[in-house]
Amino acid sequence: MRSADLLGFAVGAARGNRLRTALLMLAMAIGVAAVVTLTALGDGARRYVVREFSAIGSNLLIVLPGRTATGGINPGSFVSGTPRDLTVDDAQALLRAPAVQRVAPLTVGTSELSVGGRLREGMVIGATAEFIDVRQLRMAQGRFLPAQDWNRGKQVMVIGAKLRNELFPNEAALGQFVRVGDRRFRVIGVLAPTGSGLGMNTDELAIVPVPLALAMFNTNSLFRILVEARNRDAIEPARRQVSEIIKARHDGEEDVTVITQDAMLATFDRLLGTLTLGVAGIAAISLAVAGILVMNVMLVSVAQRRSEIGLLKALGASNGTIRMAFLAEAALLSAAGALAGYALGLAGAALIRALYPQFPAYPPDWAVLAGLGTALGTGLLFGVLPARNAARLDPVAALARR
Amino acid sequence: MAAAGAGAVQAQIELQGIERVFHLGDSVVHALAGVDVRIEAGEYISVMGPSGSGKSTLLNVLGLLDRPDAGHYRLEGRDVTTLSADEQARVRSHRIGFVFQSFHLVPRLTAAENIALPMVLAGLPPRERELRVRQALAGFGLADRAGHRPDELSGGQRQRVAIARATVMRPAMLLADEPTGNLDRATGDEVVRLLEQLNAAGVTLLVVTHDAALGARARRCLRMEDGAICRDERQQGAAHALG
Amino acid sequence: MIAADALRFAWRSVSSQRMRSLLTLGGIAVGIAAVILLTSIGEGIHRFVLGEFSQFGTHVIGISPGRIAARGGPPSGLPTSVRPLTLDDAQALQRVPGVVGVVPTVWGNAEAAARGRVRRTVVYGVSSGALPVFNMQVAVGQFLPGEGAEEARNFVVLGAKLKNELFGADNALGERVRLGGQSFRVVGVLSPKGQFLGMDLDDTAFVPAARAMEMFNRDGLTEIHLTHAPQASVQAVAAAAEAVLKARHGRADFTIVTQQEMLSTLSNILDVLTMAVAALGSISLLVGAVGIVTIMSIAVAERRAEIGLLLALGARRRTVLRLFLGEAVVLAVLGSLLGVAIGFGLAQLIRLALPALPVSTPLLYVMLAVASSALIGLLAGVLPARRAAHLDPVDALRAE
Repeated sequence: MRSADLLGFAVGAARGNRLRTALLMLAMAIGVAAVVTLTALGDGARRYVVREFSAIGSNLLIVLPGRTATGGINPGSFVSGTPRDLTVDDAQALLRAPAVQRVAPLTVGTSELSVGGRLREGMVIGATAEFIDVRQLRMAQGRFLPAQDWNRGKQVMVIGAKLRNELFPNEAALGQFVRVGDRRFRVIGVLAPTGSGLGMNTDELAIVPVPLALAMFNTNSLFRILVEARNRDAIEPARRQVSEIIKARHDGEEDVTVITQDAMLATFDRLLGTLTLGVAGIAAISLAVAGILVMNVMLVSVAQRRSEIGLLKALGASNGTIRMAFLAEAALLSAAGALAGYALGLAGAALIRALYPQFPAYPPDWAVLAGLGTALGTGLLFGVLPARNAARLDPVAALARR
Repeated sequence: MAAAGAGAVQAQIELQGIERVFHLGDSVVHALAGVDVRIEAGEYISVMGPSGSGKSTLLNVLGLLDRPDAGHYRLEGRDVTTLSADEQARVRSHRIGFVFQSFHLVPRLTAAENIALPMVLAGLPPRERELRVRQALAGFGLADRAGHRPDELSGGQRQRVAIARATVMRPAMLLADEPTGNLDRATGDEVVRLLEQLNAAGVTLLVVTHDAALGARARRCLRMEDGAICRDERQQGAAHALG
Repeated sequence: MIAADALRFAWRSVSSQRMRSLLTLGGIAVGIAAVILLTSIGEGIHRFVLGEFSQFGTHVIGISPGRIAARGGPPSGLPTSVRPLTLDDAQALQRVPGVVGVVPTVWGNAEAAARGRVRRTVVYGVSSGALPVFNMQVAVGQFLPGEGAEEARNFVVLGAKLKNELFGADNALGERVRLGGQSFRVVGVLSPKGQFLGMDLDDTAFVPAARAMEMFNRDGLTEIHLTHAPQASVQAVAAAAEAVLKARHGRADFTIVTQQEMLSTLSNILDVLTMAVAALGSISLLVGAVGIVTIMSIAVAERRAEIGLLLALGARRRTVLRLFLGEAVVLAVLGSLLGVAIGFGLAQLIRLALPALPVSTPLLYVMLAVASSALIGLLAGVLPARRAAHLDPVDALRAE
C-alpha cells in the first residue's frame, strides 16, 4: 500500500470518530506542552543566572578570607574573622601579579543611613573606583567613586536606584548629604537600576570609599577582594599568583580562599541544567500515560472494526499492510497531538516571557526534540499491540459476525 | 370482560387525540395523527399495520418511552402525559413491562441478574429480590440456567428471561414489540403461549406484529395506517385453540 | 437504587472489560505512583533537613544585631556599624525570667597550632552555657567554666576532629594550643557530632567570647543565644528579652528569632517544594483523567441499547447518570490504589538501593491521592455520564 494511501486511511479513521481523536490528541498535547513549557521555564532560569553572573564581569576571581582544612563551607568562611586581616595593602599587592588586570577591594556591612529625619538600615559597601568596572555597573546620574589612594577616601557616596528613591523621594539626590554613624557623605552618583542581582541587590546599596567603610565598621579586614584576570587563559595562573602573594604576606599561612567565577558559574549552570532535566523527565511521565491511552483506544478501535478488517483481508490486504495501517493511525494521532502540544507549550513559554520579561524562557532544542520524539515513540510503541491484533484477525470469523 | 357503561369501571388506558410529529431534515412526519382508543384492564390486543404506520410509536407512547406532542394519555385514571420524567420512570418501573424483538438482555449479567434488574433499579432489598427471582426462574423453566449469561442461552431461553424480567415487578400491562421476530416458529409459539398465560392471569397484553397469524390470536386488533387507527375489531381470537 | 447495588453494577461493568479497564486505571495508577514517589522523596528530604537542624538544641532563641536579618534569612554575621550586641547586653539578659542560659557568641576562622601541627579551623567564642545551645556533649574533661565574661581565662574546648588532628590519640587535657596568636589551655574535648549540611561540626574549637572578640578584633558579638526553660512560653521570653535590649539600646536595632520560627520557615519552604513536585506529578494524573473521559465516552456509545433498556425498565435519568459516574469513580479509585502500591513500592526500593536519599511516604498524601482520584473520576465521568443520561430511549433501543 502506498504511504500516501496509508496516511489517507489513517486520516479517514481518525475523522470517523472525532471525539475519540480529539481526546487522544489532548492527552498527547498535555504531555508535550508540559515538557515544552517547563523546560522553557527551567532553561530561562538557567540562562538568566548565567547572564547575571556574566554581567558581574568575566575573568573574575574572588578572594575570601578564611579557609578550613576540611574544606566545605562553614560559618567562618562567610564572614571575615581571622586573626590575620585581609587588608587593603594585600589587595594592592595583588596588582603585582602578571596575570592580574584589575583589583577591587571590597568591604561590606550594615549601617544606619539617615537623611534629614529619615532613617534606614542598609548595606554599605566600601569599594574603590575599580569596582564599577570590575562589576560592570552603570551610572544613572553623576559619577562613581574617584580614583585615589586606596588608603585615603573622601567622604563621598554612590547610592543604588532603589535606595535613592527611598532616601530622596521628592528631590534630587546629587549633592545631598547622607549621615552614617557620625560621618556625613555627599552623594556624588546614583547607579542605574539593574533589577535584582545575585546575592547583593545593587539597587539597595550605598557605596563609600573603602578606608572610610573599614573605619565605620571598626575593622581592618576586607570582606572580599575582586580580581580581574587579563583574559580567560590567565584565570588559572592568576589564581595561583594571588594565592602565593597573600600567603607570602601572611607569614606563610594560607588563610584565604580563591574562587574563580567560572567555577561558580559552572556549578550553577550544571545545577539548573540538571533541575530542568529532572522536571522535564517528570512531566514526560505523562507521555507514557498518553501512550497507554493510545493503546486502549486502538484496541477498542480494532475490536469495533473487525468486519472492516475482515473485508480488507478478503480484498487481498496482507497482514503487514493491516499492521502498517493501524501503526500509521497510532503514529498520526500521536504526531498530531504532539504538534498541538508543541504549539500550546510555545504559547505557555510566551506567557512566561510576558509575565517575567527578565527570564529568557525559550524551550531548548533538545527538550523539544525529546518531547516530540518521546510522544511519537510512545504512540508507536503502544500502537504495536493493537496493530498486531488487527493483523492476526481471522477474516472468516471477522466477517461472519454481523 | 366487557367495557362497562358510562360512569362505571374506568378504562385502564385512555388515549385522546394523541399526536406525534417527527422532523427529519426538511420533511415533517406525522407518526401518530390523532389517535383515540380505550383499553380495559386484562385485554389482549394486537396492533398491526404496514411499516411506517406508527405502530411502534404507539407502543412507545403507551410505554411512556416517548412523549406525545398533543393529546392526553390516561393510565389507570391518571393523566400521565404531564408527569415529570422521574414520575414517568416510576410508572414504567411499576406498571409497565416491555418485551423487545431483540431481547435487550445485558450481556455481562447472568439470567438471574437480568431478571432482577428492574427490582435493583427500583431499590428493592436483596432478600425480596432473591425470592422473586427464584419464583420467576421456576415459573419460566429457567432454574438450571440461572447463572448463565445471554451468550450461553438459546433464543427461546433469552426471550423467556426477557419476559421474566418484564413481569417481575408485577406490571399492569405488557407491551411486546415483535416478540417472536428473532425466533423460529416452534420457539415463537412457546413464547406466545407464555404471554397469553400471563394475560389470562389478568395482565393487559399489547402485541405489535406484522405476523398475521400472531395478530389473529388476539381478542381485539387495532389496524394502523399513516399514524391513525383505521380499524378497531373485536376478534374471536385463538387463545385456547393451540394445544 | 440502593448504593450497594449501584456499586456492584458499576463493578460488574468495569470487570467485564478486563483489558480496557486495566489500561484505563493503569493511566491513573502511573500518575498517582509518580505523585506518591515524588512526595515520598520530598517528605524524606523534609524530615532529613529538620532532623539535621535539631543539631541545634531546642528551646533556643537567637538574637543578632541589626534588622537586616529580620527581612529573612539567618544572620549573616556581617560587621555592622549599628549598635553592636555586647557582653554587657548578654549579662543583662540573664535577668529575663524563663531564661536558663545566655551564650554570647562570636565566630571566625583561625589557625590552631599544637605540637608542631597546624590546622585552620573554626573558632567559636561562647560561654559556659553553650552545650545545650549547640546540643553538644563533653567526652573528656569539662566545658568552659562559668566565670565573668571579661575575666575569662584562656581555656579552650576542642571538637573531636580538631583534637585528633592536633594530638592524635594522646590525652589533650592540660595541653596548650595556639589559636590566632594567643595561647589557650585545653580543658575539655567534645563528643563527635558529625556533619551538618556539609560542615564538619567536629573541626571546631570553643573559647570564651571575650577572648574570641580580641582574637578577631571585634567590638560586638555575632549573636546572643538564649536557652529557656522548656515549660516557659517562648513568646513571653522573647518579648521580655526584647524589652530588656530595647531599654539598653534605646531602639529595636536587633533581631530576635525563636528556633520555632526558623524551623517553621524552613518547613514551609520545604512544603512548598514538595507541593511543587507533586504538582509536576499531577500532570500525569491529568492525562489519566483524559483517559477516563475517552474510555467512558466509548462505553456510553457502545452501550446505547443497554442505556435505553435501563430507561425502559424505569430507571430515572439521575440513576443512569450515577451509574456511569460510579463506573468512572471505580476506575479512578482502583487506579489510585494500584498507584499508591506502586509508588510506595518504588519508594521503598529507592530506600534500599540508595540509603543516602531519604524517603518517607506521608500518610496524608496517600489519603489525598485516593480522595482526589475519586474526585478525578467524578469530574472525568461527568461528560460521558450526562450524555448517557440524556439519551433518547427510543433511539437508543433502536440502535442494534
